[in-house]
Amino acid sequence: MIQNQVELPVKVAFGVAMQGMRIRFGRSVVTVMGVVLGIAFLMAILTEQVVSEGVKDEEQMRMELGRMVGFLTADMGPVEGRTVSVVQTGGLSIKERRLLLLLEELGLAKILWTDLSDIPAEKGVSFEDLDPEDVELSGIGENARAIIVVGDGELAAEELALLRGVAHNPVLFTTRTDADHSGALVSLGRDLRQEEKEALVAEKRKSEFRNRWIVVISLVVTVIGITNAMLISVTERFREIATMKCLGGLSQFIRLLFLIEATVMGLSGAIFGTMVGIAFSLLMYCLVYDWDLVFRSLDFGILVQYLGLSLVVGVVLSVIAAIYPAHIASRMMPADALRSHI
Amino acid sequence: MPTPKIDPAEFDTIFQVTDKQDGQYVIRAFDVQKTYKMGNTETHALRGATLDIFKGEYLSIMGPSGSGKTTLFNMIGALAKPTAGKVYIDQVDIGHLDANELAWLRCRKIGYIFQTFNLIQVMTCLENVTLPMAYAGIDSETARKKGIEILKMIGLGHRILHKPAELSGGQQQRVAIGRALANSPAIILADEPTANLDQKTGEEMIVLLDDLRQELGVTIVSATHDLKMLKTSDRILWIEDGVIVKSASPDEIDFSSSEFL
Repeated sequence: MIQNQVELPVKVAFGVAMQGMRIRFGRSVVTVMGVVLGIAFLMAILTEQVVSEGVKDEEQMRMELGRMVGFLTADMGPVEGRTVSVVQTGGLSIKERRLLLLLEELGLAKILWTDLSDIPAEKGVSFEDLDPEDVELSGIGENARAIIVVGDGELAAEELALLRGVAHNPVLFTTRTDADHSGALVSLGRDLRQEEKEALVAEKRKSEFRNRWIVVISLVVTVIGITNAMLISVTERFREIATMKCLGGLSQFIRLLFLIEATVMGLSGAIFGTMVGIAFSLLMYCLVYDWDLVFRSLDFGILVQYLGLSLVVGVVLSVIAAIYPAHIASRMMPADALRSHI
Repeated sequence: MPTPKIDPAEFDTIFQVTDKQDGQYVIRAFDVQKTYKMGNTETHALRGATLDIFKGEYLSIMGPSGSGKTTLFNMIGALAKPTAGKVYIDQVDIGHLDANELAWLRCRKIGYIFQTFNLIQVMTCLENVTLPMAYAGIDSETARKKGIEILKMIGLGHRILHKPAELSGGQQQRVAIGRALANSPAIILADEPTANLDQKTGEEMIVLLDDLRQELGVTIVSATHDLKMLKTSDRILWIEDGVIVKSASPDEIDFSSSEFL
């Protein structure tokens, strides 16, 4: 005569779970926020990887320029307010152009330009990138703090002698690494020494390791937060759960209820979190680099993969976090529904 | 304190069985014992309670706090199993049932009314009433229809889509009664159903329960201190210190005497 209680269709569990969350919206939002933050962080780190891969060349260029300016100021002193003489021996490379622009940005007061190249006049004007107010066509040296030799041409011996003879002994620099001037000119474009290269690689690896650690810890904190919030929710809802058991609800049904809640919260939190993470990372990069460059060089394929990964991680972690609270809920005694005082 | 053991043979004499004995026993309990272990201490909530409840009877159980009333109630309502002794609900020995079977029993045979109403706040009245039917595997359309009928019968046909928070206490308890009747149970278990209601609403509830009982033939077992409810009952049981010490019909009791209170 006695039969086994029916397994309830998932649909009903889903319905109860969804309505429950709608009513308890405020509490759910707090839990969801935890997921949003954790997943946003994960997604931001992943996006950063993708974007930095895309702007790698630009990043490299900027690092080199920074190094060159570093060498310059080490020997010459600060750039701001100074006058510098530029001697052009040939066509300028992009790096050389950008170096001059950078020096201008850093507050260089005046550039005295001397063109020793064979490039015909129409083609030879190489300083058009610079603000005309800052540039003066003049003789070599002349009150300059430093003389920078740029261009792909050769510097003849007598020209070099001229440079060395300039009054007030300005520091002589060259942007080329291959020029052999027997140490007369300080090379700005020097390659990194082996140990400097290794130091950079080590630094990068350290920071990657650190990022990974932070992501792991933040996700662990997210999971703990969800478990905590759900345990509180289960304790608060003891009467509801016990009543459902009185009406015939099985332990499995109760467990399913809470797991569904966790899945929905995890999914919505992950969706929101990935959007926040991507936006944040892209914004950070766009502040430093050109909008155009960032988006042009973005590998959307990998980004979408990472997006999918973050969503899955969000849902899976939420469900894992809910396992213990759901278990506690399923073990509640129906007799607890009779308790009129806690 | 000695625990009186009741011989099933003397059962009928002790409980003054009337001509109702021809009717079916819907609940029988023999020498029920329940012990709770909390750490190193043992609490003997029930020390050999025995009772019989007939089909269609309106029974009230009274007892001070700590007397084992709630524990006995749990046994009768298939909410817990006895440590020793037997409890038969509709001729089924609940001591042999597993969790799933107990759930089936609770779903189909017993309806519950609680002091705190215990309606699911996130569901509408109709959904609350149809929930036991869903647990019973009844399809949603049939359940809906029956649910509406029940709500109309208890006078809440105009509130089927409201949530419990939008109803008064009395209305909520009525929805709870409707929910208890959802699967046409044999027994309705009511735990202090009028305790959270004002006097007038409480009286309406008692009348409603009695009407339903007479109409549908359900057995009502309630734990209560409500005088009106006790007077409406067919029989009152007293439980003290884990044993049933007295059974009487309301006519035989002087409700104003100090002995009673």
